[in-house]
Amino acid sequence: MDDVVTDIPPPSRFMLEDLNNFTPPSHPLPSPFLVFSTLDYSKSFHPSLLIIAMSSPSLHLLHHLSSKTLIGTLVLPEFPFSGNSVEPSLSDKSCNIYALNDSDRLIMIALVQYSVTSERSHAVAKLLIGERIIPERVLILDSVQSRNFRGKLSPDDIFAVKLETSFERKSSDTGDSPLIKGLDYFPSGSVVDGLAAALLSRCQLKKIKGTLCVSWPHFGVSVMSLVKSLLLKGALAGINHSSDADLEDEYLRFSRSKDFHLDSELYT
Amino acid sequence: MEFYVEEGKELDQNCSTLILPALSIGNVGQLAVDLLIASLKAEKIGYLDDPNILPCVGNDAYWPSPPGDLTLPLEAYESSSSALTLVQQRSPVVKGMMVEYAKNLANFASSNGKKHVIILSSLDFGRWHTIDVSSGLQVYYLSTSNIDGTDEDCERLGWNRLQEYNPSQRMWKYLNTLAEVGSALEEDLPFEELGDEDYYPSLPFAALFSCFKAKGLKVTCLLCYCSEGDNIPEGFHLAEAASKLMRLSQNEFHGNEAGKWIIPFSWKSVYGPPADISLF
Repeated sequence: MDDVVTDIPPPSRFMLEDLNNFTPPSHPLPSPFLVFSTLDYSKSFHPSLLIIAMSSPSLHLLHHLSSKTLIGTLVLPEFPFSGNSVEPSLSDKSCNIYALNDSDRLIMIALVQYSVTSERSHAVAKLLIGERIIPERVLILDSVQSRNFRGKLSPDDIFAVKLETSFERKSSDTGDSPLIKGLDYFPSGSVVDGLAAALLSRCQLKKIKGTLCVSWPHFGVSVMSLVKSLLLKGALAGINHSSDADLEDEYLRFSRSKDFHLDSELYT
Repeated sequence: MEFYVEEGKELDQNCSTLILPALSIGNVGQLAVDLLIASLKAEKIGYLDDPNILPCVGNDAYWPSPPGDLTLPLEAYESSSSALTLVQQRSPVVKGMMVEYAKNLANFASSNGKKHVIILSSLDFGRWHTIDVSSGLQVYYLSTSNIDGTDEDCERLGWNRLQEYNPSQRMWKYLNTLAEVGSALEEDLPFEELGDEDYYPSLPFAALFSCFKAKGLKVTCLLCYCSEGDNIPEGFHLAEAASKLMRLSQNEFHGNEAGKWIIPFSWKSVYGPPADISLF
């Protein structure tokens, strides 16, 4: 039985360095930057919609969308190019930016395939929204973070919830069709952190219509089907969504490789 | 740090007192500010954007409706009837940037007409040297009113000055140097080993205290000791202390709890979901 008097206290909700004014800062990293295929470095983009995908189902879905053209990339210097393939691949550590071909309005898609730390998120969000890319509306696709979610989470549950900027909520009142339909709001008391939070915050501060959709679980054909259905009924309604692969079959194989429950030693 | 005003709102120049939390054990300062914002029905005025704060977003922390009001990590609220501005912080500071963050907040406060800043924070019970069980949960304070940290209003309220405060102590002096414009935290501290006496000036409330003081503002830190666990009672205690210091009357509060407090809506899930009863 634990001795509460003499035993080492449990870990704090804060790290010790979080509560120390004299913790030295981390060594500064080189700034991230955007590279576009256009040689006009002053050119800015004004998409009617910018979709930023971070969750595994959304990355898989949008990577295989055949009607898109690679137009640029966001370089985070801490991620080397070595190991990346010449043609975009889901296994690359990259953040490629695409334009959708099949649309009378400019729709841009950013596929964030590396893990951006919270400390870097502010800088990356500034690059993706509001400087060279000035979108009318933004849709961010991420997964529920179990460490920050105060509700019950079961691997058998399949759901998605949303958060919106105040301008997006007002636009629904004035007749604009929502980017994501039929979802409840993220429950109060839970939070989303990291890049998704930095992006939605940036939309709120810059008065841009923004929606963050977080889905659960992280992997699985069912959650990918849910995300696909949400996109086709909302943000990508009317867009050619043909894909260059058997999506479900490929994602099933991918998800199984990520399903750690199946790797249990009980079943050897 | 940039301040973004909410659509259709503006800062009330009559709100000359600013209340904010310092990050501390048990998140007590943040819990207290949550209570004050909810119970005073303070209005959201805007957002503070600082690259030294880690990002986070969530749903409305205070009210169930209207649904979906977005919450950002650093928000400013006002209660004009109480002449108060409250800033709530919901996420940690980037490692090593606490003093920079404190300087930025001090700039915001001084350039927006704040005269008095009240910082709410807790202290680790494990560091409490003189345990006095006779007085219950004691409030300690630190003030810029006098050089030794004392303040008449706080003394009249029966609070004890933080005994460990010594403005001549090396780390408090080093903090004062850092709080000046242009000074930056050195990679290696100019001291070899840190001792017990260096603990209090190392805490976030001390950085805020020093930076606001460097701007010539009156600063009062309200502190209470606690261990980490269910720290809601300490949150109530500090919120009550702040309301006494501000001489807020009962009718400025809108709640039912103990006559005046409103529990923020987000607190319903502060300790996670209930246990799975199928286990039993």
